Amino acid sequence: MNKLIAPRIRKVLYTLLFLLAFLAIRLLFVQLGAAKPLSKIASDQYKTFICLLPKRGVIYDRNKKELAVSINLSSVYADPLLIKDKPSAARKLSGALNISESKILKDLTEKKRFAWIARKVSLDKERAVKRLRIKGVDFVKEPRRVYPNNKLASHIIGFVGLDDKGLEGVELMYDRFLKGAVGWRYTIRDAKRREVPGYEYKQIPPADGNDIILTIDSVVQAFAERELNNAFKKYNALGGSIVVMDPHTGDILALANSPSYDPGDINSSPAEARRNRAICDFFEPGSSFKIVTASAVLEENVLSQNDELFCENGEFKWGRHTYHDHTPHGWLPYKDVIKYSSNIGTMKSAVKLGKTGLYRYAKRFGFGEKTGIALPGEVKGILRHPRTWSKLSVCSISMGQEVAATAIQLACAVSSIANNGYYVKPRIIDSIQDKTGSVIKKFEREKMHRVISEDTAKEIRGILRGVVEEGTGKSAEVKGYFPAGKTGTAQKVESNGTYSHSKFTASFVGFLPYNDPMFTVVVILDQPRPQYYGGTVCAPVFKKVTEQMMRYYKIEPAS
Amino acid sequence: MRNDFKVYKVIAFTFLVTFVALAYVNQQALIYQMGLRIKENNQIHSNLVDRNRIMVYNVLNLKSPANLETKLLAKKVELGIPGKWQVVKLAGSPVKPEHEYVAKKGLFASLFVMGREAEASPNVNSLD
Repeated sequence: MNKLIAPRIRKVLYTLLFLLAFLAIRLLFVQLGAAKPLSKIASDQYKTFICLLPKRGVIYDRNKKELAVSINLSSVYADPLLIKDKPSAARKLSGALNISESKILKDLTEKKRFAWIARKVSLDKERAVKRLRIKGVDFVKEPRRVYPNNKLASHIIGFVGLDDKGLEGVELMYDRFLKGAVGWRYTIRDAKRREVPGYEYKQIPPADGNDIILTIDSVVQAFAERELNNAFKKYNALGGSIVVMDPHTGDILALANSPSYDPGDINSSPAEARRNRAICDFFEPGSSFKIVTASAVLEENVLSQNDELFCENGEFKWGRHTYHDHTPHGWLPYKDVIKYSSNIGTMKSAVKLGKTGLYRYAKRFGFGEKTGIALPGEVKGILRHPRTWSKLSVCSISMGQEVAATAIQLACAVSSIANNGYYVKPRIIDSIQDKTGSVIKKFEREKMHRVISEDTAKEIRGILRGVVEEGTGKSAEVKGYFPAGKTGTAQKVESNGTYSHSKFTASFVGFLPYNDPMFTVVVILDQPRPQYYGGTVCAPVFKKVTEQMMRYYKIEPAS
Repeated sequence: MRNDFKVYKVIAFTFLVTFVALAYVNQQALIYQMGLRIKENNQIHSNLVDRNRIMVYNVLNLKSPANLETKLLAKKVELGIPGKWQVVKLAGSPVKPEHEYVAKKGLFASLFVMGREAEASPNVNSLD
């Protein structure tokens, strides 16, 4: 038996050995001759880099309420070559996604392996597409930026593009902190191009974006937006801005503009609505600027607040130009010149002060310079050097003409008076924190230079209280909180360079309580109609916002 | 006889090597399967986290005072913080009842009392 089997086994073994030898030779040939190119082909086929997207940071208000968050939504794509019945698939997808059938069909009939059907769809739509079970249609997760409060603080927060890149506001300015760092994984994939788990060669995890904490209070922001928007609609204005600020710290508690927009749906509003008017638009402040003139006059002891000036009974010729007051006045103490907003009295005091003095104080109050607020697109307004001033410039500038300022510049200027004569830099971002809550960048409160002395600031506060008590700003009175402020009604410049008699910029700048100010509020309305006086259209907005703020902060009125 | 023994040895060795090789392949397949299962679970986890984020966003959106106000204003319902003059405190007003209010009233009375059910949960903010 063994003798019969042994030769056969031997034959099988020899055959096997021959085959093995053949394989060995072939292996040797492959290994020595074609190792590199073959190895590269194989490597390209199964090794792959996978991009790991980070989570964009959250934007909070000062009370840690979310203003901008990121969520992952599914985007629907198709491999047109895998879809057999394209018209039917297009019809079904159109019904589920509420997109035009012809558009989907056009994408599906193109000869390519990848086509977007819909980006970042809602959960309901995702479920509806999944239920269709169309071969060749699949999903990929993509981050989407969402804003839980819709329009609230949209001009501060800004918005992002489809690729999650900041395009406006804080989203743009601090994109490098918010976006985080993309990670990657070097791994292998199987024949169906799926990632093979457990075979990662190298992995760098993504670093999530940092969170930003703003100084704004979303409740105050809501008050400000609502009241500004009401006035904007009521007076058919072209635009409006409001800034609420803590005059001691420079913290911006609210900054709003009208018209506004929804940052989650930017295409629903015109580009015009997306402009942050409070920092990007400058305008002639008109009588609001008299605060600067009065501060300079009192600080330089040119006049005291009780010195009397003759206001020419409402009409005064200076050079070739005739100046008018809204209401004619005779002799007025200087404090009443400001209280009743007399142009003639103010320009007379400015002439006594001189153009260099007026320019120096306007500079100290921050006009003609950017405030440095951490938002994109800030402009510095217009404050020309006295060398270029005409003979009439000192008169015009003293009452807020030939000078242009932004709402934020006005807020900083008036805050200097509220802050005992110290200029404060506006602060809109408190800090940037990482995901563990550690502060990685703190925006410290900056106390800047002294603008006027404490005594002058106190005097000006008293004068401005008079404006609200008995002067042009009576509509701003909030009983028990003693607000102070100044109204402004500036003629706009027509395209031919002359001052318009029908287009005005109305403003009210103020703070409260006047003896120990807690909040500064600036209200601007561009071209309100039919009423256009700052005291009529802007002062009530100040009153309504501050009234609500007092209740919100539980500040009891003084008896 | 000696040659036969050698042949059996070779066959046994081949079987052993084949067994070890198959065991190795099986082990790799198991690792792969486990990896796939882990990946699937991670995917489920990640989907649930994403869904949770969407839900939290929806909750934030729903409880946003600004949005609520917009909706109420659209229906011409205007709300505001009541002024002091709008709140009347009566000298003989009873002290606000605590949570045991319903229990004290008895079963029958509790059917008609909305107190406990209508009160907001103190943990409503814990969603985020």
